[in-house]
Amino acid sequence: MRRDMSGLLLLLVMPVALIIVMALIEDAPFRDYQELKFDLLLADNDQGSLARQITDGLKHSKNFHIIDSLNGQPMTEAQLKQLLSEGKYKIGITLPAGITAEAVNSANIVVNNISQKIGMSPTMPARELRPQMFVHVFFDPVSKPAFRATITTALDKYITYSCTNILMQRLSMLSNGASAATDANMDDMKKIMQGIGVKEEPLNNRGKETMHINSVQHNVPAWAIFGMFFICIPIAGHIIKEREDGSALRIGLIPNAGGYVVMGKIIFYSLICMLQFMCMLCVGLWAMPLFGLPALYPGLHSWLLLPVSLCIGFAATAYGIFAGTVFKTITQALPYGSVSIIILSAIGGIWVPIEILPHSMQLMALASPLHWSLEAVNQVILRDGNIQSIALPLLILIATGGALWGISALINNRKYKNL
Amino acid sequence: MFAIEIRDIHKKYKGAITPALDGFSFFVLPKKIVGLLGPNGAGKTTTINILCGLVKPDSGTAIISGMDCMKEMDSIRRFIGLVPQQIALFESLTANENLLYIGRLYGLESNMLANRIRYLLERFGLDKHADKRIKAYSGGMKRRANIIASLLHEPDLLVLDEPTAGVDVQSRAMILEFMKEYKNQGKTILYTSHLMDEAEQVCDDVVIVDEGKFVINGAPKDLIKSTTNCKRLEDVFLHYTGRVVRDTPTDE
Ligand SMILES: Nc1ncnc2c1ncn2[C@@H]1O[C@H](COP(=O)(O)OP(=O)(O)O)[C@@H](O)[C@H]1O
Ligand SMILES: [Mg+2]
Repeated sequence: MRRDMSGLLLLLVMPVALIIVMALIEDAPFRDYQELKFDLLLADNDQGSLARQITDGLKHSKNFHIIDSLNGQPMTEAQLKQLLSEGKYKIGITLPAGITAEAVNSANIVVNNISQKIGMSPTMPARELRPQMFVHVFFDPVSKPAFRATITTALDKYITYSCTNILMQRLSMLSNGASAATDANMDDMKKIMQGIGVKEEPLNNRGKETMHINSVQHNVPAWAIFGMFFICIPIAGHIIKEREDGSALRIGLIPNAGGYVVMGKIIFYSLICMLQFMCMLCVGLWAMPLFGLPALYPGLHSWLLLPVSLCIGFAATAYGIFAGTVFKTITQALPYGSVSIIILSAIGGIWVPIEILPHSMQLMALASPLHWSLEAVNQVILRDGNIQSIALPLLILIATGGALWGISALINNRKYKNL
Repeated sequence: MFAIEIRDIHKKYKGAITPALDGFSFFVLPKKIVGLLGPNGAGKTTTINILCGLVKPDSGTAIISGMDCMKEMDSIRRFIGLVPQQIALFESLTANENLLYIGRLYGLESNMLANRIRYLLERFGLDKHADKRIKAYSGGMKRRANIIASLLHEPDLLVLDEPTAGVDVQSRAMILEFMKEYKNQGKTILYTSHLMDEAEQVCDDVVIVDEGKFVINGAPKDLIKSTTNCKRLEDVFLHYTGRVVRDTPTDE
């Protein structure tokens, strides 16, 4: 019974951890982004009063933290796009030159119309309406569609509000037009509201290869990584079985064999993981379109997925070896292995993007190898990243794998000394 | 020089009340078959595991062919062959696959290894079952395969822990015969057993250990002669270790 204490404890601790993590994570989409504050890059090419009102409005909003200058200089559109495509920020907007003029003009038209209706001569200078103008919204390529839609709607609200302000100012210029304002023609109101819109724009323009915001692009890598990490369960089982059938003892009797054998296992299973990833990739590339889904876009430097999947495989394999070393029996390793992968994947952003999670959870994500795996894959297929951009996640994956491998070796060594 | 020299070894396992080895000392001369005899729980397996670097003693020295077991285990493992009490093979591989894999890990040249495997499988009567998985083997077959796996690198010192325990009569005869044959090739053998008739028959020398302490050693014939009223080694053993039954549960 005493021996089963750890197994029993595990049975209690794992579901508790699972429930907490899942509740936190699944809660995020229901919060409607209300309690979150996002960094918002802003490039103002207009510098007019509407632009200032939009900026001020956003600055006072609960949801956005505005960054409109870089090193003391106003942010340019090029800088903004660069920062987003590197993934340093999630959202950016540019206010095009001339939006203030456009908004004022629309407002003037409305005011003049009202003046005419109440028998006054038009007083405001106005020209013909131009086609609709847009405030452009840009996103980090990794952002999911739902996130994009929510942010775009929120921004639209602020901008409409600012336009309405302009209209109100114009109306109040009509000295005795206070009551007339209520008569304002609704079509005119719509016109002015439509005068300035919000429109999402891609960060770059490469024709067919421009934008890949779809469920295939965002789900295939995430679940492929999730599947790869499940290799830890057969590996742990393998290690425990070798200890039970005595073959581990045999290896221990052969000079210097232990290191080779573990290395052989790591190489073998890492390659299996790589193969698994490639299969999933093929499914995304060629099988998904058969179901009427968009095909996966593997990025400009798709060959980088080879080293990326190898490093993910290494981390997953080392995790399996660690689990096989720590746990005495397969019955302990099995639930631990699967539940821990689910937890690590949840905090790592496999289920729900981490940018919509509470800040503390975002920090926890950094501890999940699945987060760095997803980061590396997204760099390649969503950001068209190069070797430099995957270096950090890959280094972290290699370091994690190495550390787990080393700790397993230490534990084995201690077992001998503490007998 | 002694083949094995053990001096004043103390070992108490974590959580145990009494020590497994309590100042145990003995030596083994080269090119002999030496039996390490003792009742259940006397400390035979512990001694052998210390010699093979599987257990770390609390104090004392263990020296094999002039090399320290605590410091030079990697070199020692090249010329020592341990046949553990438990079967130490890959259950889901065939005998042939097991032996090839183990031989490669020893770094043996492949032609030589193939010949050696063929010879040993035939010598132990397993040549017809070489392509069966270990898990399909009977107890006696597993024991013999377990011995072969420790002989691939032709160790100068062969250490066997209860090689004949629970084995059918034919397998036991084959194992004992091989031990004599191997000694005649100039090798040293240390083996543990609780079967006195068997030890009397094959051993040049025996060492009796009880409760982790050295009791007596010598050639079986000399021991029988020098102990009063003894006709067989079993009488000597009972004379020194008493008639009280020793039961040690195998599981803590
Ligand atoms: N891993 C272990 N942990 C704790 N006690 C052990 C362990 N192995 C053996 N012992 C104890 O040490 C003593 C000597 O055991 P062992 O060397 O296996 O005896 P033998 O092989 O002569 O039967 C026994 O009392 C046994 O219960
Ligand atoms: Mg024993």
